[in-house]
Amino acid sequence: MSAHVGANPEVLASHGLSRLADFRIIPRIETYPRIVEFVQKLAGKLLILALFGAGLYFATDDWLPLTLCLALITFWPSRRRLLVTVATLIFTFAVPWTKFPHPLYTSTLILFVIAIGALLFWCAVAWPRSVVGRHPIVVLLIGYSLLIAFAAYFPNTTRLYLTVWDFTYTFGIYLWFIGYSLLDRRSADRDSFSLQLGTYRPFWGSTATPFPKGASYLRRIEAKDPRQLAVVQLKGLKLLAWSLMISVFSKYFGLFLHDYLAIPTFDQTFYRSVMHAPYPSYVCWASLASAFLEDILVMCVWGHRFIACCRMAGFNALRNTYRPLSSRSISEFWNRYYFYFKELLAEFFFYPAFMRFFKSHRKLRLVTATFAAAFFGNVFYHFCRDLKFIATLGLWKAITGFHVYAFYCFLLATGISISQLRASRPKPSGFLRARVVPVISVALFYMLINIFAYLGRDYPISEHFRYFFHLFQFNS
Amino acid sequence: MEPKAEVRQFVQELLSRKGDRQPFSDSDSLLLGGRLESVDAVDIVVFLEEKFHIDFAEVGFDQTLIDSVDAIDSLIQTVKK
Repeated sequence: MSAHVGANPEVLASHGLSRLADFRIIPRIETYPRIVEFVQKLAGKLLILALFGAGLYFATDDWLPLTLCLALITFWPSRRRLLVTVATLIFTFAVPWTKFPHPLYTSTLILFVIAIGALLFWCAVAWPRSVVGRHPIVVLLIGYSLLIAFAAYFPNTTRLYLTVWDFTYTFGIYLWFIGYSLLDRRSADRDSFSLQLGTYRPFWGSTATPFPKGASYLRRIEAKDPRQLAVVQLKGLKLLAWSLMISVFSKYFGLFLHDYLAIPTFDQTFYRSVMHAPYPSYVCWASLASAFLEDILVMCVWGHRFIACCRMAGFNALRNTYRPLSSRSISEFWNRYYFYFKELLAEFFFYPAFMRFFKSHRKLRLVTATFAAAFFGNVFYHFCRDLKFIATLGLWKAITGFHVYAFYCFLLATGISISQLRASRPKPSGFLRARVVPVISVALFYMLINIFAYLGRDYPISEHFRYFFHLFQFNS
Repeated sequence: MEPKAEVRQFVQELLSRKGDRQPFSDSDSLLLGGRLESVDAVDIVVFLEEKFHIDFAEVGFDQTLIDSVDAIDSLIQTVKK
């Protein structure tokens, strides 16, 4: 066989390409039997924890308590889920205690929100035929919307004004975590609330988006035996190393772009456009492309770190960002760029809409569900997350000022819908048409719509269009 | 054809459409394991609605219900009863 390969240049070339494709900067150590065997032993566990702790040292200030919690879970896997709850409580109250401006006050608010989450969960489980039992997510999201409206119109001359806003803000932080608990209410193997609590801003880190989803997902991906745990932990260690490497690369990449090549940031080029003194269009293109790439790198750094810690705790979670630049369709990029946010929108908006509306019209059904998630869900999530605008501008101005981001969501939902509808069409052949053109088109689409992905309220949509048209030199 | 065999064949087609020709067992997690995506879940849902008349608005949808061939088969059996 090897002689044959050696004699045929085409086979040799394809063999070389496949070896290149299989090349890994970090080797797949989780597939090496001797390493997997070693990590199951005491010395191996200590070594992997030490290496992981050393990696965390460069990634987060809380590396020591995080490593200690991971060590506890590593050495007591039979109590993993309960220990996740304990570690999460430690990271909710004890670790940030000195960082809270008013520790007792903040802790009380968090406890109150958790209590409401527990009450909702308990009601949904105890009375499955009640409104809360049948539509707990609707109750949760409408309830939270009403709370925001209440806070927005609460008289700001009263002593309770700040407390109302602090409570609304705290509730917002936990909103989607409580939501995932409620989604778990019907599962046959549903967890008790004490275990659900471990997924409420888990100790390995999360944004307002739960990483990695809720208790139902954790049950499915939990390591079942010492061998699985060793493999998952090795994957976690690799992912942390990858996160650190990207972090270093991102830093020097940024310096190269902005210092050496002197490409301004997107914010700088946008501001100059608003001031009617735009940079040349090729500079704007360069800043747009660099912002797009830097966003992906930043997303990889923290997303990989959260998932690395989650894996180290024994849960084989999927990566948050996975090769987004290899996406050949808009919907594929959407799936690969920020996986857990996409999953949140799918679970809370896409599937409910898909299961209920336009069942006999397949295309309309898909488009409606996609708009429910990528448009409505996306708008709702970000509007409720950035409460400072409502608190400072008032509810109505905060809503009207959000039109730019709503337009971005509309473009996104339209792009994803078209991409999904075209998915069943035959794929083009040839390297250029099948790979290069789609990948560049997808990147271009996201780069351009990012002009409108503006969460602030200072500039109207006309300024974003001005920037957009300037790229094509339509208004110069 | 048995429902389970039909489901398996459909899932196999779904995977091969994505260029995934790796073997899979009936208990393998496909959605939560990352081999299939939410868009593929939609295809599975439509397949189950059309072939086995499962109404997810009634049953209540959860990705775990259609995460593996075994899970789908068990869902079909439950709905049949």
